[in-house]
Amino acid sequence: MSAAPRPRLYENDRVMKWLLIGPLVFFLLAFMVYPTLYSLYMSFTDYVMKGAPGFVGLDNYRWVLSDEAFWAALGRTIYVLFWCIAIELVLGMALALLLNREFPGQGIVRGLCFIPLLVSPLSMSLMWNYILHIQFGVVNTVLGWLGLSAVPFLSTPSLALNTIIFITVWQWLPFSIFVLLAGLKGMPRDQFEAAQIDGASPIRVFFRLTLPLLKPLIIIIILLRVMWLMRLFDPLYGTTRGGLNTELLDWMIYRVSFVFFDIGQGAAYALFALYLTLIVGALLFKQLIKAMDGR
Amino acid sequence: MRKALFWLAVGLMVFVFVFPVLWIYVTALKAPDDIFSDNPFIFTPTLENFDYLINVRPAFGELLNSMIMSVCSTIIVMLISLPAAYSFARFNTGNGHILFITISTRMFPGVVAAIPFFLLFRTLGLLDTHLGLVLLYTYFNMSFATFLLYGFFREIPESLEHAAMLDGYDRITILRRIVFPLIKPGVAITTMFCLIWSWNEFLFAFLFTRRVARTVSVGQSTFWGSVEIQWGPMAALMCIAVLPTLIAAWIMQRHVVRGLTFGAVKG
Repeated sequence: MSAAPRPRLYENDRVMKWLLIGPLVFFLLAFMVYPTLYSLYMSFTDYVMKGAPGFVGLDNYRWVLSDEAFWAALGRTIYVLFWCIAIELVLGMALALLLNREFPGQGIVRGLCFIPLLVSPLSMSLMWNYILHIQFGVVNTVLGWLGLSAVPFLSTPSLALNTIIFITVWQWLPFSIFVLLAGLKGMPRDQFEAAQIDGASPIRVFFRLTLPLLKPLIIIIILLRVMWLMRLFDPLYGTTRGGLNTELLDWMIYRVSFVFFDIGQGAAYALFALYLTLIVGALLFKQLIKAMDGR
Repeated sequence: MRKALFWLAVGLMVFVFVFPVLWIYVTALKAPDDIFSDNPFIFTPTLENFDYLINVRPAFGELLNSMIMSVCSTIIVMLISLPAAYSFARFNTGNGHILFITISTRMFPGVVAAIPFFLLFRTLGLLDTHLGLVLLYTYFNMSFATFLLYGFFREIPESLEHAAMLDGYDRITILRRIVFPLIKPGVAITTMFCLIWSWNEFLFAFLFTRRVARTVSVGQSTFWGSVEIQWGPMAALMCIAVLPTLIAAWIMQRHVVRGLTFGAVKG
């Protein structure tokens, strides 16, 4: 052997690497490319679940642009997106800092905090619906005992959407806490000791040292939460069912496609929502890769 | 003083997180009259609601369906995602583009996929079948599983494999003896997430099943009738449905922290 002995199977790596992602690519094609193209086709038709789809050109899209309900749903989705992520990051950071120490019973506390993340979103929204019910909900009962008037959490348009945000934050806050906690635990100690010796105030240390080190994780949280929040459906089904000014994008597409059976129109909405998420997602993903490699 | 404040904050946090889940169990033990009573804390516990789920409106089939679909789809997901994640992590296959496309499936609003699949499944006769929902859950979990595993594979230093190769081990042996033992915790966490998300999934189950393949999530929603909501039996079914996830939360909290950072932080 004259050349350095190359590892045996490494010569086949070019084949191997594609072989390994073969099944994934197949599933992606079948489950992503096909539905997207099919939706695209449907969005140019007036298909209503029966009969033959008739070609209507850009009519569905023209309707999307002029439809106030669609823009309202989009606005509400962005509102939910913003407030959920903002609250989850700030509160998650505070609670991660709180839990970032050794204390007796820490395993139990963490285990209990992890619960909301794993229990079924539908079950929990139904349960919150019961807990926050205006007449026999436990929260309003206790408020009544305290001499306060009942709060219509899920029965008035001005509050319902905020209550849904609350339920969503309740469910997903542990995600931010645990991710940020992992980041805090993995911090290089020497830099903090140096800062302490220099007499930097805790606030300064947090903004100058802790926060920049957590940046990749914060971007991960934002990326994943944007993706998950765009498809918020269960909390609506368990509470207002799209009524009381709480209709979000996913719910609207569901209503148009599966309640009114206006598949063509629904597909046009859906594709609109899809492009929007893809653009936001691509931007965030780029940031993420940059932040992860820039370590 | 500081200590008292700390415990107050921790106590409040735990209370807010746990109370609604606790309330499921409390509600499940209430008789219909107690559910609407003026004092929600005082009642005589009864198993009436569970009896309802066994004898009046059996829920066993729904639980079984959910179990079958979670397990089957998770197995398929792992078979697809493990090799793919390895390929992404080791060879940077597709220069990140395919990885992004994979992750972006998670961005699809659920209903975007639902429309074409509904029409396709109707043609193929897959509506309200186990196979149909297993395929959808595979699609649903595949991307996130790949992303999670990708993070875990990235944590295994490549030099380890090179060294083993120079020692004359072949690829299969290396994968089996070196890579797999190191990736095992990652596989465990990913499996757990896939199982739980399939178990909890509602939208697809709601749109694609009616009677035969109805899952436990859809089962819960059936108690919301056109006239009234049957909170008691609903809570009883909930507390059974939530139980496996509670156990999982307990097992996972120790290990999950590393997994959730996708290799961006060395835990």
